[in-house]
Amino acid sequence: MQSYILNHMVQYSSSLDAVFAAVADPTRRGILERLGQREASITELAEAFDMTLTGMKKHVSVLEDAGLVQTKKVGRVRTCTLGKRRLAAEAAWIAKYQQMLEAQLDSLGEFLERTKGDRP
Amino acid sequence: MISTANRHTLTTPTDRTIRVEREFDAPRDRVWRAYTEPDLIAQWWGRGNKLDIERMEVERGGHWRVVEHTPEGESHGFEGRFREVTPKDRISRTFEWDGMPGYTILETAEFFDTPDGRTRMVSTALFFSPEERDGMLHSGMEGGMAQSYAALDRVLAEMR
Repeated sequence: MQSYILNHMVQYSSSLDAVFAAVADPTRRGILERLGQREASITELAEAFDMTLTGMKKHVSVLEDAGLVQTKKVGRVRTCTLGKRRLAAEAAWIAKYQQMLEAQLDSLGEFLERTKGDRP
Repeated sequence: MISTANRHTLTTPTDRTIRVEREFDAPRDRVWRAYTEPDLIAQWWGRGNKLDIERMEVERGGHWRVVEHTPEGESHGFEGRFREVTPKDRISRTFEWDGMPGYTILETAEFFDTPDGRTRMVSTALFFSPEERDGMLHSGMEGGMAQSYAALDRVLAEMR
């Protein structure tokens, strides 16, 4: 029982590290958000993010290692979907939250600029 | 990991934390008002999307709830409770999205004067998740949690 707990905790924290490292990158956050809507092939993702196939493959493999994305090869097309683990949904949410927070700060900055001098 | 693309600095100090620092060209009083007064929040929080502010009780324990409407016709509700409100200095609240209930974020914003009359804001988001809670349940099994379950067993037995 004791060793099961320890093992569980170690695996748990290393997977979270991988998740955070994976979502730290803006492109990978975008990929998760996109895959949250519907599946896509590597080629489609590369086009959507204006990136080479090789570059996109690297991003997808980081996401795959973190368990956030699953890929399946049918014929010559590799299709990506969000990973089955609940963490994938969580990571997509963290990614979405981070994008929202950053956009909100820009929006607040613009609002403060726009209303400068409206009130002493 | 540092990103400075949009005039802010984003770091991830722990594997559960996002920290964003940004300066605003406005005194702290104005930034605080924009951050806490519903009429003003409505003008920036939605990033251009229509926003309904259903509740905004800016005090310790107060509820807040906003619903954002996207141009595609989707509605997203966000809500939580204020945990700490120290006017013009620090505000801390829980943050949940209706789409991921139970995945609570603790959001803290701190405001500082800069020497040139601007305001530096530091926003920290700490993520909690059911997975994390499950981990705590596992590790606490042999302590108080087991006692609580034993007590619950007794109550349930008596109810039969």
